[in-house]
Amino acid sequence: MSKTYSLTLTIKRYDPDRAASWLQTYRLDSGPILRFVDLFRRINVEQDATLAWASSCEHAQCGSCSVNVNGRPMLACELLVENAVTLFGTTEFKISPVTVAPVVRDLVVDWERAYERVHRAKPYLIKPKDIPPGRTEHRISPQELARYEEATRCINCFCCAEACISGNRTFIGPNAAMAGIVRMMDPREEEKEERMDLLYSEEGIYRCHTSKACSHVCPKQIDVAHFVALAKEGAF
Amino acid sequence: MVKKLQIHSTLTCDVLIIGAGGAGLRCASLLHEKKPGLSILAVTKVAHPQKSHTSTAQGGMAAVDPKDKTDKSVYHMFDTWKGGDCSSDQNVVKKIVEGGWAEVQWLESKGIHFSRDEGGGISKRQFGGHTVDFGKGDALRAVFVADRTGKGIMDTAWGEALKGGSRFINTTVVTELLFNEGCCVGAVLFKAREGELVTVLAGATVLATGGSGQVFRITTNCRNNTGDGTAVVLRAGLPLMDPEAVQFHPTGIVGPGILASEALRSEGGILRNKESEPFMERYAPKMKDLAPRDIVARAIETEIREGKGIMNPDHQIEHVWIDLRHLPDYVHDVKLKEVASFFKTYANLDSRTQLCPVRPSNHYHMGGIPTNEHGEVLTSANTVVPGLFAVGECACASLHGFNRLGTNSLLELLVMGRCVGERVLSYLKEKQAHAPKGAGEATLARFAGYLEAEGRENVALIRQEMREVMTRQVGVFRVEKGIREAIASLIAFKARAAKVGISTKDMRMNQELLERWELDNLLDNAMTIAQGALMRKESRGAHFREDYPERSDEFQFHTLVSMTDFGTVSFGKRPIDLSIYESKVENYERFGIMSRKY
Repeated sequence: MSKTYSLTLTIKRYDPDRAASWLQTYRLDSGPILRFVDLFRRINVEQDATLAWASSCEHAQCGSCSVNVNGRPMLACELLVENAVTLFGTTEFKISPVTVAPVVRDLVVDWERAYERVHRAKPYLIKPKDIPPGRTEHRISPQELARYEEATRCINCFCCAEACISGNRTFIGPNAAMAGIVRMMDPREEEKEERMDLLYSEEGIYRCHTSKACSHVCPKQIDVAHFVALAKEGAF
Repeated sequence: MVKKLQIHSTLTCDVLIIGAGGAGLRCASLLHEKKPGLSILAVTKVAHPQKSHTSTAQGGMAAVDPKDKTDKSVYHMFDTWKGGDCSSDQNVVKKIVEGGWAEVQWLESKGIHFSRDEGGGISKRQFGGHTVDFGKGDALRAVFVADRTGKGIMDTAWGEALKGGSRFINTTVVTELLFNEGCCVGAVLFKAREGELVTVLAGATVLATGGSGQVFRITTNCRNNTGDGTAVVLRAGLPLMDPEAVQFHPTGIVGPGILASEALRSEGGILRNKESEPFMERYAPKMKDLAPRDIVARAIETEIREGKGIMNPDHQIEHVWIDLRHLPDYVHDVKLKEVASFFKTYANLDSRTQLCPVRPSNHYHMGGIPTNEHGEVLTSANTVVPGLFAVGECACASLHGFNRLGTNSLLELLVMGRCVGERVLSYLKEKQAHAPKGAGEATLARFAGYLEAEGRENVALIRQEMREVMTRQVGVFRVEKGIREAIASLIAFKARAAKVGISTKDMRMNQELLERWELDNLLDNAMTIAQGALMRKESRGAHFREDYPERSDEFQFHTLVSMTDFGTVSFGKRPIDLSIYESKVENYERFGIMSRKY
């Protein structure tokens, strides 16, 4: 028989109409492999249709459902109940929205505001190198690609930015910095100067205190701090 | 107290692109490249374009490399035609297949991180149903970005649209199309985050709203794929084409439905039922677990129906097992790394020592908004609706016929995204937008109705029941009695939906309101799928009727279905284009009506 957990979810809520914020507790029994998004859905069906929460792909490929669970930024779509119980050693969870973007309602934040940093880092080739004449592709060896390929797996869930001890006001943030660093390492980018101007600017990578919290919380297990370190050394 | 709803403002642009996934933003990128000053409004339902469903595509994108001496476009066209069970439009097949490598080159020049071969070129892999020499050998035809090809394409298309200057409106849905003198001149949008209804007047409107997988209980589709675009088109009095053509992937991971790749079986995974019996031997004695997608999906469903499935207590859904325990560590650690990690992440199972739960999962809708080969939307009389275009999964041109080959959807959304962009450019020279009378009134009435309705029904509960019914009765197996029951259930759900009282009255990020509207869209889509499935008394591609298990020449046409009132449908037919066959060019005889045997 499958194990049942009696869970207590205390969710930080916000109603924009009354500009009111409060903590609301939901109690529910759950099997071990329901995910936190499944719990939110069940709350909507069984207890409270008004609770708003965000998700889209629900398998860690879009980064829409980032929330703080007991203070740790995580994707609600891949957090299984039994793993959460093991990780935190409790069946009581406090869930609050991430703070890298303003809250719209309950657990839903305005991701557009968070993304402004990524947009500033220009997540595209500013000046793409021409494909060599007579060819339809560049030559990039698997070894060369492997130097920066990990960083291209970033889904901009902003968990790293949420955990970053350098704060969000002065530092552009680990994921936005990484968007620039990837293109410093990509041999097809010819505009390196402009990228360096941003990376070494007032909001650039020297704001990073090397706590490596980014790598620690990344749901995609990207060693974000490694890429920031490369940039600090200029070892693109 | 409900505040009186009103249209908050009117925006104008040259091109309105509704849906900012791969197809929509490929179109935007083309427009920016060809005409830099153009004002483009790109609308997405998700919180940011990068969160689109395109990002979840895994395996690859098919494209015939002109450098490859062994592969030819005609082979790819043949595979697509055969795979679609002779129901694709051949003019569209030719156009898209021939346009493939140019898109690979576009992506490469814009910074996609394709996996590379040892020589530093773009690496390719084999995919089911893709052959050389008309089925004689396997084709190496799919370029890929590791196991995240869709993400690579999404990031590239988004980057280029951003660079080109598209204005993005996120967390926003289309609720109504606007027409003036028969031309589409824009749309009404609901900006869910701000809680505002706005009117957009546009020189051209492109629908790229994606699929409707949420109609089914278990699906690989994201939470937002509720068929909004197709429902809005229906409400505009336009038809949908082939809605009954719905593909189910045989092995979705229970319960979230996440796709567990075919590689599981090609590497030697064995499907087993409750009694641990390797049941595929009974269904496909030769190919066993390597049989095509639809055969495996039907076998699994049969086992479950005969009581040989296993109930997952947490997700309350039945499944069978896939046994990977006998495979060497190397296969688990390297070859199946990503899928094995899915089982660990979503079911807490170690595929090395434990059986893993899988069942058929809704994957792709071949049907959609009918268009011609340029992506122009067509009426039920097959005439072009000026100013309205559709592209991507919401559209049906039709490349895939009644069954899509893996890696052909990414190909389609890029080539057609570009083609629609080109068509929009030539259209824009001719027309200017004017505001129609009564714009937005239908939306205002609809949303006011939702907010004012009273009753104790619950949207999420009705949705859950609808998805159960559709999965059970209009899913992998279909039979007249079951489909009729499903239609009756849908009508009952619609009546219950009217008794949903919404407690959140403030419009900002009102999830209750948004999901209430989505429920209507889901029901509309479900109804067209069920009605199409009932009408089509044959089995074709992914559409399988137990009471009519063979394909019939009598149904050698595309279904067109229109719906004026819920449940009341009228059908039309569109001929399947046979232009390759009729051209009598070399190899034309490969493009006749043939049986889909592998």
